[in-house]
Amino acid sequence: MKIVVAVKQVPEREAVLRVSPDGRGVDESDIAWTMNEPDAYALEEALQLKQRAADAGLGEAEVVVLCAGPERVQSTLREALAKGADRALHVLTPESGEGSLADRGSLDVARLLAEAVKGEQPELVLTGLQSDDLGAGQTGVVMAELLGVPHATLVLQVELAGPGKDGQRIKVRRELEDGWTQFVEMSLPALLTIQSGGNRLRYATLMGIKRARQKEMRALTAAAPSQRVDEVVKVSPPLRVKQTEMLAGSADEVAAKLVERLRFEVKVL
Amino acid sequence: MTAAGMLAGMAPASLDLRLAEPAGFGVGERVLLAALILLSGGVFAWRAMPIARNIWGSKKDSDLRLRPLGDRLWRFFWEVLCQAKVIRQRRLPGLAHAMVYWGFLAFVLVTLNHLAEGFGYDFLGYSGGFGAFYTGFAGVWALLVAVGIAGLFVRRFVVRPAWLGNVSPESGLIALLIFALMVTYLWMLVVKPQSEAATCLWWVHTLLLLSFLPIIPGTKHLHLLLSPLTVFLKRPEFSQLPRLEGDEEFGLVAGKDLTRIISLQAYSCVECGRCTEHCPAATTGKMLNPKEVVLGVKAFLNIHGPGSEQVLLPEDPAAGQRGLSMEAAFACTTCGSCEYQCPVGVQHLPLLIGLRRGAVNTGAWEDRYGTKLFLALERQGNSLGMGSAERDKFIARQGFPIFDGSQEYCLWLGCMGSYDPKGREIVVEFARVMRALGTSFGVLKKESCTGDPARRLGNDLLFGELAEQGLKNFAAAGVKKIVTICPHCVRTIASDWREYGVAPEIEHHSEFMARHAALLESLMAGESEGSIVYHDPCYLGRYREVYDEPRAVVGVAGELVEAERHRERSFCCGAGGGLAFLGEETGDRVSHGRARELMETGAKTIGTACPFCNSMFRDALGEVGGEAPPQLLDIAQLVARRLPADAGETPG
Repeated sequence: MKIVVAVKQVPEREAVLRVSPDGRGVDESDIAWTMNEPDAYALEEALQLKQRAADAGLGEAEVVVLCAGPERVQSTLREALAKGADRALHVLTPESGEGSLADRGSLDVARLLAEAVKGEQPELVLTGLQSDDLGAGQTGVVMAELLGVPHATLVLQVELAGPGKDGQRIKVRRELEDGWTQFVEMSLPALLTIQSGGNRLRYATLMGIKRARQKEMRALTAAAPSQRVDEVVKVSPPLRVKQTEMLAGSADEVAAKLVERLRFEVKVL
Repeated sequence: MTAAGMLAGMAPASLDLRLAEPAGFGVGERVLLAALILLSGGVFAWRAMPIARNIWGSKKDSDLRLRPLGDRLWRFFWEVLCQAKVIRQRRLPGLAHAMVYWGFLAFVLVTLNHLAEGFGYDFLGYSGGFGAFYTGFAGVWALLVAVGIAGLFVRRFVVRPAWLGNVSPESGLIALLIFALMVTYLWMLVVKPQSEAATCLWWVHTLLLLSFLPIIPGTKHLHLLLSPLTVFLKRPEFSQLPRLEGDEEFGLVAGKDLTRIISLQAYSCVECGRCTEHCPAATTGKMLNPKEVVLGVKAFLNIHGPGSEQVLLPEDPAAGQRGLSMEAAFACTTCGSCEYQCPVGVQHLPLLIGLRRGAVNTGAWEDRYGTKLFLALERQGNSLGMGSAERDKFIARQGFPIFDGSQEYCLWLGCMGSYDPKGREIVVEFARVMRALGTSFGVLKKESCTGDPARRLGNDLLFGELAEQGLKNFAAAGVKKIVTICPHCVRTIASDWREYGVAPEIEHHSEFMARHAALLESLMAGESEGSIVYHDPCYLGRYREVYDEPRAVVGVAGELVEAERHRERSFCCGAGGGLAFLGEETGDRVSHGRARELMETGAKTIGTACPFCNSMFRDALGEVGGEAPPQLLDIAQLVARRLPADAGETPG
């Protein structure tokens, strides 16, 4: 079995973000980067699935990690190799300007990734359900469409189900609202977008890093960007608004209104 | 020889205490003696060879340097020849042991001469001058050795302290042999020279001597031969971890990773149990027993030999050596009490942390809390997993200036000082003390953890990244001198970071305040803080040997009271070695025991000098403090509270 995990490199959560001079992006000059968190969970799921496949006597699965971006994303690919991925594919895009990630929309990035996946013919493609920076949640599902494979979103866990008449099948647990989960059985090949928190992430080890140096990292050239179907008009930091609203009525009424607000608007109850 | 003749010969001949020489030996006797010596030496060599092979066949210690020799020679003189550590930690048995040891040294000449006599040589010259003096001198030692060994025998087989564990029968045999050797020697002093009795005693003494030698290897009595070497060769620094070289070193993973020094130390263990007696893990019901870990390594080498591929900490603990297990290795608080007082030069910390390195660097250690800690250090850069914006807000609120090179000191906050509410209080009050003293300081705009918990838990990748980052930050800010409230940060920056570069000079706030004690004294206003019991943090005391400075600071604020166990004997709070982050303890809590000890002094206040100790005791006092627990304050807080109200306030 071959599993491709598509990951994205995003600014660290602690990074101080500044709007770029043109006002349509983020100034990337002084940012520390890290692996997108849901993608880290996708990688973890793939590594655990590899172990489960080996335990079930299905042979040695291969985990290939895939990332599009400039040179800097290689550190994220190395991290994935260190954690246990077998190979890495790097779709190289320019640092900035035409053809850079900032220049491409979700559809275009999904095309780049899908093109790289086609060359691998994997049984399973995993990726995070969305990115921590843009949060569009598009790349995974668009990729599935471009690859012509079924997909499931918000997946917490993947299990190997018994082989069906169409080959090896999987059973996935999806997160629904309000604490509900749903089990779906799927045939392969398939694409899954992974939700954070389904597993415990592993820590990077010295041995992993040293072994990773010997692992293959292949660079692929990125296709020219296609016409964008969307356009970034303006990037701005969230406006801080303080609003005070006085709830009127008797104590009981106020309490009831407060509970309602806390439950359905703030969602803390 | 008749029985009557023998008895007559054994009666005191005179009172001048001449060692009774036997009459000359015939050729037959000489051949017999030579054969017996060969037999004894042969059995000894046959039993010692596998051990020598296990030690020498272990991996070479790449970081072992004999220089500076002076320190090694001094340690040899003090710890071996003077028996300082043996006596210091256990006065009476230590003295008894020293008597036996010094007696042995005195007997080297006598014994050589004794055997030479069998071949007709008497180089000491018993009949006159030096020889006569020396036999008398050795006689005094023989008495002391006999008393000493008898005392040790009684302790071992009658008193039986728990820390000795299962006492081995051969140690009883050894004691009897030594006792008999001394008795026969003394007896020889009082029988008539050239008599049959003298010959008879000579042979008994010889046989005892020759049966002593083959017993030594394979028992803890091997320390007789090895420990002088072990003490001389041990790593010069406390808890010194070797650098991991190349692509295949990850710490102590398998038998092949055990180095010569580790093997030598394991075979030197004398099983006295000092390490276990003072171990905060072993004495509160944890799996760890440091003595068993050392003996586990010895047993491992005996079974698998050197260079084996066998894993040291197998997944199934039952498959490993007794004493060696993942659970045991990760129960260590790295308080260092074991290593500090081991009389034969065993260094437990590089061994225990080495095992952790092997488990963590290869990913074999799976622990929910450990992983959480590592990920927090990887992602947030601090051990508490907080966002760095929280630190920014804190330093802005306190008006701490950012270090820009114009200030004398960089005040290092550390994870506790940056994020922990109590740690922050300590930093704030220490800053007040600095301002009151007129010392300029600034804090770094960004700090990440020094890597202390990662280092002690054996995560070299993470530690290396944090150390490099930290060095870069200090260099970029142009820091020359650092002061901090946390002994763990001091130790890690001053010693552990050396593997990655040269850090600026760093000191603990107790050292800083002690230097200004006179000035602080003159600033004190208001009433004395009363009785204060000071708790020595492991990383300030045993790791840095700073004992007097914090006491001087306590003396400025109030009246110092000592707990039963203090200074180098201080007992751990339970937080070190990354254990503060590893969740609930099994057995009793280390911090509860220590908090009770501190409360027993009846002091009004517990004075701490480490934010981790402070945090542990804060929780412990909530549990075991009773109705009116003593107040708990860092030494900086004790001083700050007695400053006049307007001293050291934020300017403006």
